[in-house]
Amino acid sequence: MADGIRVSFSDVAKRYDLRVVFRSVSGEAVPGKVLVITGPNGSGKSTLLSILCGLLRPTRGEITYHEDGHVVERDAWRRHLGVVAPAMAVYEELDAMENLCFFARVRGMGPAEDRCRECLELVGLDPDRRTPVRGYSTGMAQRLKIAQALLHDPALLFLDEPGSNLDPAGKDWLENYVGGLEEAGKTVVLATNDRREMEWGVRHVALAG
Amino acid sequence: MWRWLAEAMAVAAKDLRTEFRTRVAINSLGLFALTVLAAVSYTVGPYRIAAEDRPFLLAVLLWIVIFFAALAGLDRSFVKEEESHTAPLLRLAASPSAVWFGKLVFNLLVIYMLMAILVPLYCILMGYTIVMVWEFVLILALGGYALAVITTIVAAIIARALTRGALFSVLSLPLLLPLMIFLIQGTAGVAEGMPEVVSSTVRAVLSMGGIMTIVSAALFPVVWSD
Repeated sequence: MADGIRVSFSDVAKRYDLRVVFRSVSGEAVPGKVLVITGPNGSGKSTLLSILCGLLRPTRGEITYHEDGHVVERDAWRRHLGVVAPAMAVYEELDAMENLCFFARVRGMGPAEDRCRECLELVGLDPDRRTPVRGYSTGMAQRLKIAQALLHDPALLFLDEPGSNLDPAGKDWLENYVGGLEEAGKTVVLATNDRREMEWGVRHVALAG
Repeated sequence: MWRWLAEAMAVAAKDLRTEFRTRVAINSLGLFALTVLAAVSYTVGPYRIAAEDRPFLLAVLLWIVIFFAALAGLDRSFVKEEESHTAPLLRLAASPSAVWFGKLVFNLLVIYMLMAILVPLYCILMGYTIVMVWEFVLILALGGYALAVITTIVAAIIARALTRGALFSVLSLPLLLPLMIFLIQGTAGVAEGMPEVVSSTVRAVLSMGGIMTIVSAALFPVVWSD
């Protein structure tokens, strides 16, 4: 997987019928830096993240991914990114290993059991635990979502309130891990209202609400 | 090509695994089919229909049971992804065509499982004699495929709607009605031993299945992504 994805977005607006979520948002996420998106509840942080990762289309504006100076086609975005978000769930009937092996297979990595095991151990989950995710605590489910996002070693990570439901040790681990991502030249876009998480990045986009 | 096929089969295998653990779709289809079959066999039975009407009327009843059982559960594969909020991660991880084909394979397997249990039971309980057995199996296989293709794309369309329960039947029936008419004629043909009716049915159902496959494959990426 190639590193170094730059994401630029300019004059992005989103409206659902008559409800305006945000009018004009611009910014840029660059490799090796964390771009922090902040704003009060309902200001559209998660919506902006969904637009930036290609799950939603904006009402207006332009989003461009660049890799080594070349524009990445929209259809190819998904290969470069990993997402952790409260509104995105893993399969609760499957256990953690089955979930990761499924995502590895649909990403064209084959079953990749060693990589799945490595990711689960990285986030502090037991790969041999055969309990379906339905039986997990919210913190464990959050750890699994993080493992899923890291599975294919993406160059670009979208993190929407990644520390929610994590215990203090989990939050410490996450902070260290994101610091390591910066050093590795990964691009990170973080949407949060947590004061501690806001300090992870030096570039900020503040939504008015 | 092989990589794409492996991705699609991963989607189908995941759906089968989650379905066998929850049994929502299988229970919906199975209970509907068995209830209607029990009601029909008890009230109509093998001897209440005049001998000359039996091939046609029993074909009508058979396909009514299969089609309405399918409508009771085949939307689950897409609706469940939306209801349990797993659809966004699937959209980001898998190619749209692999998702479509994987879901189609899953629905096809569910229909074939339903047919494998329902049709022999129906033939025994209703005393339905089939003259051209292999042609009957071919009509069932082709009909099941066309049914799976249509219900898969309609399920994808309605999955994000708020009134999806009602919409699935409303949108499916106009597409399924011509198919149902062809399949009833073909099934009556195999019961009576009329090769010319059977061959025209096979051609018609093959055409419908082929056209719907091409239309669905082209339409699905738009339905799934936007």
